[in-house]
Amino acid sequence: MTFQPSKQVYSGKIREITLGAGERALQIGGRSGYAFHSFESEITHPPRVAMEVWDKDPSQDWSEAAKAPFKDVLHDPAAWARKCVDEYGAEIIVVQTKSSDPNGDDKPASEVSDVVKKVAEAVQVPVVVWGVANHDKDTEVMREVAEKCSDQRVAISPVEEGDYKQIGAACLGYKHVVVSSSPIDVNLAKQLNILLENLGVSSSDIVIDPTTGGLGYGLEYTYSVMERIQQAALTQEDDKLQQPIIANVGNEVWKSKEANLSVEEAPHLGDSSQRGVIMEAITAVDLLLAGADVVILRHPDTVKLVKDYIQKMQ
Amino acid sequence: MTFVLFDFSFYLCPKEIHGMKLIGENLNIMSSKYGKALKEKDAKPLQELAIQHEEAGMDWIDLNIGPAGKTGEELMSWLVPVIHEVVDLPLALDTSNVKAIQAGLKAHKKGRPLINSIMVRPERMDALLPVARDHDADFVALLWGPEGMPRDENERGALCSEIVHKAMSEYGIAPERIFVDPIQTPVNVQQQQIMSVLEFMKMFQDIAPGCLSTVGLSNVSNGPPEHLRSILNQVMVVLLRHYGLHSAIVDCFDKDLHRVARGERPDIEALVLKVEGGETLDTASLSKDEAAYVKTARVILGHTLYSDSWLEV
Repeated sequence: MTFQPSKQVYSGKIREITLGAGERALQIGGRSGYAFHSFESEITHPPRVAMEVWDKDPSQDWSEAAKAPFKDVLHDPAAWARKCVDEYGAEIIVVQTKSSDPNGDDKPASEVSDVVKKVAEAVQVPVVVWGVANHDKDTEVMREVAEKCSDQRVAISPVEEGDYKQIGAACLGYKHVVVSSSPIDVNLAKQLNILLENLGVSSSDIVIDPTTGGLGYGLEYTYSVMERIQQAALTQEDDKLQQPIIANVGNEVWKSKEANLSVEEAPHLGDSSQRGVIMEAITAVDLLLAGADVVILRHPDTVKLVKDYIQKMQ
Repeated sequence: MTFVLFDFSFYLCPKEIHGMKLIGENLNIMSSKYGKALKEKDAKPLQELAIQHEEAGMDWIDLNIGPAGKTGEELMSWLVPVIHEVVDLPLALDTSNVKAIQAGLKAHKKGRPLINSIMVRPERMDALLPVARDHDADFVALLWGPEGMPRDENERGALCSEIVHKAMSEYGIAPERIFVDPIQTPVNVQQQQIMSVLEFMKMFQDIAPGCLSTVGLSNVSNGPPEHLRSILNQVMVVLLRHYGLHSAIVDCFDKDLHRVARGERPDIEALVLKVEGGETLDTASLSKDEAAYVKTARVILGHTLYSDSWLEV
């Protein structure tokens, strides 16, 4: 008898979601099987690689390794975004609205949203706007962002249980995509999608952010939750979880101590110019295997590694 | 119709048809009202609550005084006679404080007391098994080991064997004194552990013949919305009872739950056990109440993923 590999039986499918509008529109999701399981299911769209751009100069916060590829553009988010797309191959741009943080610069919503608009106009790829997870401030900022980017179908994140009504309504009004964000918990991820749909947000406008833990900082929890979401969506026909997943990898990995220590500070941790990139790549690849449809990265070397990986896995 | 119902419930309970014993849980240090009364040694509200337990048909009243540090011994010596002044029910002495348990046992003059609980950790067993033997008390054998909560039914089985073996062979305690507690977990965070408890219950009488069993039932709904707790508790008790659970620690005010636990709702049992048996039921053809029990059984059994709005989807 010849060897018969066991096959997973799938009963559900991840929805296809369109990010961006017009010429920049890009579809994600659409899988009818586990990540990269092309031998037993249909993979409509490969995972996409997004790059992050901060809306403020991050020079004070970032290590040399992270700053080096962007030295000439860190002060100019629009130029930075263009560089990511033109030189480093970003398929999606994520604007991190760090300047709005009430515990930091606390820039007013009007200023923050102007910068977002400039970035969005500077590139021809879909844009995700990522807030600071402060319900009041994100609500203020995202309302203005939603209005100023009204024709671009941006994705707005994080939309959490504490602000889904406000930000969800803004997305609904201007036809943007909601990134439904829950704290590493499959049941809460499902519940928030139910609440969003009760609010009137269509399932064709929801992407899940299950909250990313970087390598050494909870990666395995995020992995398990993504895996569980995929199982529910693809094998249990859980209608509320059949949404593509986005993972905010770069931001999480690079804020860890280990990614930024110099060789002098931590001689046992190896080459500091490579370390952060490797940590970022490992986190991204793990989460792609768990089922992420979009990974958000910081360093161009990571982008190269991860894109190469996706290419080889097809 | 009567024939169908009768026939079905008979089929569903191949084991001995029994009403479960119930331990009322409401006298609890965590409650704002009764916690305050305990701290202030205010007998009246506690006695009123005890009478309510008796009226609700509880078989024991759980006296949960928490760890109770240095004051535990004195508190339990005071509390047991205060409760027994107004009711004749045996009491479950619910504390991790060994001295408080000893004081409670000494003061307990009506019926057989229940120690709640003894964990499967060497130091707890060494301290409390001799106490249980000396007072001829019942005790809850909590399957919580040196490494914390068991991860699956096999670890539950191993912990169960360990404590039962030790109690019987080293201390000569009879199996019917032992209430094994496989640990109920909340459906919203640890649904898989519920399956492990049910699997454990299938093996239980082979592992520990003659021993009894109990769980802290309300924990299944610890976290979900308050108004939906009862239906989760009811469905959970149907499943546990089906696998032979002897008793449960329950909310003494939830009359609906008590009826289910005592086997007085064969209609609910039949629905839940159909789901458990893998029958596909079309919830659209059921009444709203029936559909709610079916949906609840599905989330507890992991057929669908739990969310707080599980009854609406």
